[in-house]
Amino acid sequence: MADVQTTNQSILVVGGGMSGITAALEAAEAGYDVVLVEKNPYLGGRVTQLYQYFPKLCPPNCGLEINFRRMRQNPKIRFFTMAEVAGISGQEGDYDVTIKLSPRYVNEKCTCCGKCAEVCEVEIDNPFNYGMDKIKAAYLPHEFAFPMRYVLDPCLVGTDEGKKCLEACEYGAVDLDMEEATFDLRVGAIVWAAGWDPYDAAKVDYYGYGEYENVITNVMMERLASPNGPTEGKIVRPSDGKEVKNIAFIQCAGSRDENYLPYCSGICCLASLKQTTYVRELYPDCDVTVFFIDIRALDRLEDFYTKVQEDEKVTFIKSKIANITEDEDTGDLLLEGENTRTGEQILMNFDLVVLATGMVPNGIQVDGAPEVPCDEYGFLVNDPEKTGIYGVGCVRRPTDVASSVQDATAGALKAIQSIARR
Amino acid sequence: MENMVNYDPSFAEEVFRDVDAGDEIKMCMNCGVCAGSCPLREHMDYPPRQIFGLIRAGKREEVLSSKAIMLCTSCYTCVVKCPRNIPVMDVMHGLAHYALKQGYVPRKDTASFGKEFWKQVYRLGRIDEKDLPRRVFFSGGLVEGIKAMLNFMDIGLRLMLHHRMKLLPERKIKGVKSLQKMLDKAEGLGKGGAAA
Repeated sequence: MADVQTTNQSILVVGGGMSGITAALEAAEAGYDVVLVEKNPYLGGRVTQLYQYFPKLCPPNCGLEINFRRMRQNPKIRFFTMAEVAGISGQEGDYDVTIKLSPRYVNEKCTCCGKCAEVCEVEIDNPFNYGMDKIKAAYLPHEFAFPMRYVLDPCLVGTDEGKKCLEACEYGAVDLDMEEATFDLRVGAIVWAAGWDPYDAAKVDYYGYGEYENVITNVMMERLASPNGPTEGKIVRPSDGKEVKNIAFIQCAGSRDENYLPYCSGICCLASLKQTTYVRELYPDCDVTVFFIDIRALDRLEDFYTKVQEDEKVTFIKSKIANITEDEDTGDLLLEGENTRTGEQILMNFDLVVLATGMVPNGIQVDGAPEVPCDEYGFLVNDPEKTGIYGVGCVRRPTDVASSVQDATAGALKAIQSIARR
Repeated sequence: MENMVNYDPSFAEEVFRDVDAGDEIKMCMNCGVCAGSCPLREHMDYPPRQIFGLIRAGKREEVLSSKAIMLCTSCYTCVVKCPRNIPVMDVMHGLAHYALKQGYVPRKDTASFGKEFWKQVYRLGRIDEKDLPRRVFFSGGLVEGIKAMLNFMDIGLRLMLHHRMKLLPERKIKGVKSLQKMLDKAEGLGKGGAAA
């Protein structure tokens, strides 16, 4: 698996999300050898966890399918899942990169018959659904996983449960002796597309995320709405499973705040507007209130905002919510703040609160890696004087899927130019 | 339009220049967290965000004669939560101090409480939980005093039950002379408010 031959004419793409896939495909289709490494057991990144895109409100899977097909057809791309960069040395045109492969305990003989999951009785928190439900420790990450192959959680190794999975597999695909492996690559340029993490909402302690069950984040909302999510697409309260009647969206939950995340992530406004749209479509009786400091729907996206404003059951209140308290008996949430347009005090009850948390970039945290300039918030900056490693997508600035694709295409071109220069 | 205001920047400039921590309000982005988290918001005529707004709108009279700037109890909630790191409390105290210097007289009860509080700290180095209210209550006359005492009887009894209030008078702290020296010097420096 790890016998990859690369040269200083090859490009390494780190991160198999939308940005990474795009950069890899664009470079490969221009005739360059590309190696793509992804930390998760599947490609597609956070886009696979979305229910809909804005502003078109289409499901992300079709776009991903097209890209996966491009990838299957192109012999110039090789990709590794459960792979991370452990070391980078050298300089532009001649990088030596160490890749660490975590064991999957399932080899390429897997047919996705699901027998291992049938016999396995151990359950783990489902990372794909942000731990909102449980999944068997022998699992397929999600229905559209690419590569379509099961994964065994390391907790099964050396246990009777693990042995049961091994014996249940008719194809000899389960291999509990797999170990962590490393291999080296020689590449000419690197595209860093490691994406983002949602800001940890628990840090904003006065919103009670992690303490109050009915306070969730925007990424969790996407999973709740997804037909392949923990509730099969029903938007219900985590505390008692009741259907929602009155939702609050709190914008800038941690963002634009010197105490937490000082910058604006730019996409959360539209993400909440999108979520408002599908909540209203799925539950025509549900009231939605959006609390905001400013709605940042730029350019053509303002039309989307205008359309949501027309909905009578959607209320926009200009206020940064200052406190949330939970009614312990009902699980309802009391929001406090000041309506800054009227000066009135806000004391309102909701049955579910969605925190619009921002994006935190996954910068280059590899010991001894060549220095790549960052801004004060950790986003990579493509400095024309320091070429060879290029940040694309959300590692460069918080942005939506469409802009990530554009940025990744530009990044692929920069990587190609870097190689062509020598 | 009802909301039309003729902005006069001269008061804002005055505040930025002459009020302690006054220039901090330039950072305010009107989110309302200070107002939403203030425990005294119901008693304020204008919560902090609106005070900042009035300053920008040039409403000198409204700001300097407002109850709000005198009511801040230094609980720090707004300072901790402000997303722009504005020391809201310092600004409120700065404004209160500036208003006094400009000859504005705060509400009578706030003023007499402040005066008595200060006198007692100066004399004892601490607060006597029964002497201070007694002086404040009876500053308006005997009848008023008895009424106020009866009103606060419950709280008084509970304070005593929890040993927060002693029957005997409080004693001076050790080295109250040095404290007084420090306070005198601080007062001479004119800090804690507008520049002298």
